[in-house]
Amino acid sequence: MNYADLFRVTLPETVLEVAAIVVLVADLVFLRKAVLRARVAAASLLGIAGCAVAWWAVGCAGAQGFSAGQGWGAGSDLLLAAGGTAGVAQVGILVLTALTLLLLIDADFTRHAGEYVAVVLMAAAGGMLIAAAQDLLVIFIGLELLSLGLYILTAFAKKSGKSAEAAMKYYLFGGMSAAFLLFGFSYLYGLSGSTSLPRVVYGTYMASAHGGTMLLYVALVMIAAGLGFKVAAVPFHLWAPDTYEGAPAPAAAFIASVSKVASFALLISISSVALHFFGELHFTYVKAYVTARIVSEPVHITPGIPTAWPLILMVLAVTSMVLGNLAALAQSSVRRLLAYSAVAHAGYILLGLAFFSWSSASAHAILYYILTYGLTTVGAFGVVAVVERATGSDRMDAFLGLQKRNPLLAAVTLVLFLSLAGIPPLVGFWAKFNLFAAVLGVGAGSVSLWLVALAIAMSAISLYYYLQVLKRAYVMPATDETPIQAHPVTLVVLLAIAAAVLVMGCFPALLQNWIASF
Amino acid sequence: MLMQDVGAFHPEFVDLSTSTAAQWLWLIPAVPIVASGIIALLRQPRRKPAAALAIGSLGCSLLIALYAFAHVVSNWASGITTREVVNFTWMQTGASTVDLGWVLDPLSAVMMVMVCLVGLLIFIYSVGYMEHDENFTRFFCFLSLFAGAMLGVVIANSLLLLFMCWELVGLTSYLLIGFWYHKPSAAAAAKKAFLTTRVGDIFFLLGIVWLFNATGTLLFYNHGSGSMEGLALANLLTQHAGLGLSAAGAIALLIFAGAVGKSGQLPLHVWLPDAMEGPTPVSALIHAATMVAAGVYLVARVYPLMAAGAPLSSVGAMAGTTAPLIVVTWIGSATAVFAALIAIAQNDIKRILAYSTVSQLGYMMAGLGLGGVAVGLFHLITHAFFKALLFMGAGSVIHGCHEEQDVRRMGGLWPVMPVTFATYAIGMLALCGFPIFFSGFWSKDAILEAAHQSGFIKGPYYLLAFGALLTAFYMTRQVSYVFFGKWRGHGHAHESPKVMTAPLAILAFFAIALGIIGTPAWPWFHAFLDGHAAAIDLHAFAEADFLKLLGTSAVIVFLGLGLGWALYGNKSPAAEEPDALEKATPWLWAGLRDRLYVDEFYSATFIVFYAWWARVADWFDRCVWGGIVALVTWLFRLWAQLNRWIDNEWVDGGFDKTCDELSSGGGLLARVQNGRVQIYLRVLAVAVVALAVILIWSSRS
Repeated sequence: MNYADLFRVTLPETVLEVAAIVVLVADLVFLRKAVLRARVAAASLLGIAGCAVAWWAVGCAGAQGFSAGQGWGAGSDLLLAAGGTAGVAQVGILVLTALTLLLLIDADFTRHAGEYVAVVLMAAAGGMLIAAAQDLLVIFIGLELLSLGLYILTAFAKKSGKSAEAAMKYYLFGGMSAAFLLFGFSYLYGLSGSTSLPRVVYGTYMASAHGGTMLLYVALVMIAAGLGFKVAAVPFHLWAPDTYEGAPAPAAAFIASVSKVASFALLISISSVALHFFGELHFTYVKAYVTARIVSEPVHITPGIPTAWPLILMVLAVTSMVLGNLAALAQSSVRRLLAYSAVAHAGYILLGLAFFSWSSASAHAILYYILTYGLTTVGAFGVVAVVERATGSDRMDAFLGLQKRNPLLAAVTLVLFLSLAGIPPLVGFWAKFNLFAAVLGVGAGSVSLWLVALAIAMSAISLYYYLQVLKRAYVMPATDETPIQAHPVTLVVLLAIAAAVLVMGCFPALLQNWIASF
Repeated sequence: MLMQDVGAFHPEFVDLSTSTAAQWLWLIPAVPIVASGIIALLRQPRRKPAAALAIGSLGCSLLIALYAFAHVVSNWASGITTREVVNFTWMQTGASTVDLGWVLDPLSAVMMVMVCLVGLLIFIYSVGYMEHDENFTRFFCFLSLFAGAMLGVVIANSLLLLFMCWELVGLTSYLLIGFWYHKPSAAAAAKKAFLTTRVGDIFFLLGIVWLFNATGTLLFYNHGSGSMEGLALANLLTQHAGLGLSAAGAIALLIFAGAVGKSGQLPLHVWLPDAMEGPTPVSALIHAATMVAAGVYLVARVYPLMAAGAPLSSVGAMAGTTAPLIVVTWIGSATAVFAALIAIAQNDIKRILAYSTVSQLGYMMAGLGLGGVAVGLFHLITHAFFKALLFMGAGSVIHGCHEEQDVRRMGGLWPVMPVTFATYAIGMLALCGFPIFFSGFWSKDAILEAAHQSGFIKGPYYLLAFGALLTAFYMTRQVSYVFFGKWRGHGHAHESPKVMTAPLAILAFFAIALGIIGTPAWPWFHAFLDGHAAAIDLHAFAEADFLKLLGTSAVIVFLGLGLGWALYGNKSPAAEEPDALEKATPWLWAGLRDRLYVDEFYSATFIVFYAWWARVADWFDRCVWGGIVALVTWLFRLWAQLNRWIDNEWVDGGFDKTCDELSSGGGLLARVQNGRVQIYLRVLAVAVVALAVILIWSSRS
């Protein structure tokens, strides 16, 4: 490891940090006297430019093929990976960040545009860090960088009591989760004597073979609590509805998309490391393990991460799918509905992670899912923001007669919500299809089949609450027919997102090929 | 991914890199579809932009199609016949990929030029015909969408893409038949058309799935690995499907079932005559020239599959020797006669033409079965022009007679509508196959010749010859009723505007001139499609076989014309008076007038069965499934309510209570800090413990 390599790999993050500082300086020094609208536009555009440059830097890092990123052996003290799934996730983070910044142009919740954009960029840098992280400490630092940014963003509507309350809850919950996570990491370090993921996997394997299993399980559960908090998996989801409801819309969109992409990229790299280390052996063990648990026969199994980790993920997946979807049914606020739907979607993805494939199929399916989900969610929050500004409410009834009040916005809502529900030919369908196909491809046996059946049944239920919104937009009589005006930039962004959802749905191979090309 | 494929179909197909024409071929369907989308977004009464967009977009497509056609022709003229394909991966699931693509070869080139040209003329004609319709914009939106979808069918290089466009074409057909949906008969006809073709499409879809399962690809041509190329076909021939058929034969028959539905062949022809409820330009475009010919085109497209396993010899002798081709031939010939018989006893001007279309489609199918792609396709092309001409002429007559469609209430129109009459007469003579001067003669003759030469089966030849006689007869009857004798209608008939008659004149020109490219002396069309050089050989006219055939068909045609004229010529019977043929043979007439009771038969059997089945299913649905669904819904609602209750009472309630207690002393800060966050954190801790317990419990051994 030399510092030149390290700098080259962290170039994208560095670019984002520099961009954050440039935005701050520009806003505080040069645009002091400018009107708010111009400052917001300038800050957003600078932030987007930063994202674009960072994308270029990601390309450079991937193209140079950072040598330490190739080795999976226990000997490498790897800090960061470049290219591969990490590269895809990083580009996804940058694109989604840019989109949420575009949504800012229409927002009026704050007068401190420069600070907002700077915090967004720093949080995005944290997200990129954890997407590539291969070391416990780097993971923790990245997570904290991301989380702290998110707390601030949630609280950014300083005039709103709801925003402050949501941020406070988010912060307390996040703090406790981080504590659990760090505690879990310290156990892992104690068991394995290393902080590098491949060595940790190896070390815990050796340790649990010599009687350290209980300690390993406690550590894994604590880590699951920390990461479950990030992806809003039941039972670590309690912050999500309040935060989604209280945060300003662009911040909520950022939390719902960028933070999710980064966290799932981290989960993918953890699963990949565990699997690559154990290689083919893994199949036999997990299968034997799961079968043993179902039929309650004592079977000799290898203890360690590859057996316990999928079980934890499976429990989280099932509870998230069931509780997320059912709780969403009873919501009357669209933001809370989106929060519970996010919980449900996290459940599907966790299912994909629980049945993780040794080949890249699972990683690609999960990335496909999370990227398209993030894109759709950004669009959904954009719509909610516009409706909220016009009606002052995020209740479902605020969507009444949307088709008459703004047909384009209604069409965007239609496309995005149907995609979230997984209706073909929209991209959400292919995401679910690929994910469930990957799960079935890995888990040969009745357990995965039943879990996929459950997931499909749950996504059928989800159609009900998505249609509740669309029914108000299209079918039910309007109480108010005054047109809703959307800022042209917002409208263009939303239309572009809807078009992308449609086009990628009609040509599913586009994104698949792009992901596979990294 | 660009690929190009040559050499698999014919030895003379030579390697060539994918040309610009092939790469941009997708524009041909895309432009009208985009135009249709734009028209759909226009506000309703925008007549001029709608018409301009539709006509302009199809004009663009025509130019591109002509360019592509010229490209193929110039290659062919210099001795290389190309089949250029552009394929791309549409989606990937696991190890199997589904590819889509388009193909530029003589077959698709000829077809797209025809569709664009006829379509464009009919679009122009529609401007006049639909002038007073309040839904003018919607009409052009559907028409444009149809044109795009039909062109998609033509250029598709994948059975799946073809099927998508095929269904889209079916949809627009449904929309346009039911265009005047306030008329119950139109709505019923639209439904009938949609459902009847669906019957064929189910088999078609089964064939597609089977083909994909057996070969792993739905591309027609893909550099040797497509489903219509040697390797896949050889593989299909080795698989047995029962009933003495190979998998290739069974799949070909399933695909043919789709063509039967779309092209109105027996026994699924019943929807096509009813489809005449749509506006006349629609009948001309969709139900005469293009869409109904899609079935024929499909059979031509999968011809390698149809003919797979036939002994390889000269092209003519190879046809008609595989099971699918024999089925195609017989169904086609039977349809040709069956529909021609019914056409004799119809009184609606468009219905006569509709049955005539069914009959002619039978000819095309028989031509494909007996003589191969070129024979069937040549009749498809000539028929498209003269039948579109006839339909538009009929539309002009209907327009001029104040929406009257009953031929018995017309008469003596030829001095009043000279242009319509002249062009209609040309179309009629082409349809009858009047010798030498009309395209229909050459294309029909080629089919008869193929039938005659077929050493395998003789029946179709006699059927087809009898059909030709009937054709001349019913067309003479119609023309006599409409244009000769005395005027028997109400009010004064008038000639149609120029915007309607000009397309008629252009189509009439083609109805005559197209014959030139398919005469035995210069079989340009056949040579072009089959990929060998064409030479002018005037001696072919003097050959004994040709002269014998010419004589036979001339006798048949003149017999039909003479019989028709003898019975109906200049008689001008009153509308209530029984028909001349009815007087002679009442029983035959009654049967033919009632369309040989096919509809009645279907109503008494299939429809009754389905109605009964639907009632059973309805009962089952209401009483059994409905109950289960209600129960499940109720359970889920209960669960959701429970969740909400927990959320409200347990979490929120606790929060509210704490708030209430603290609000007196605490204020906002206390509210935020001492709210339900504590409960959240407790849940977090409990969850961690619970998870650890689950994990440790599950790992006990």
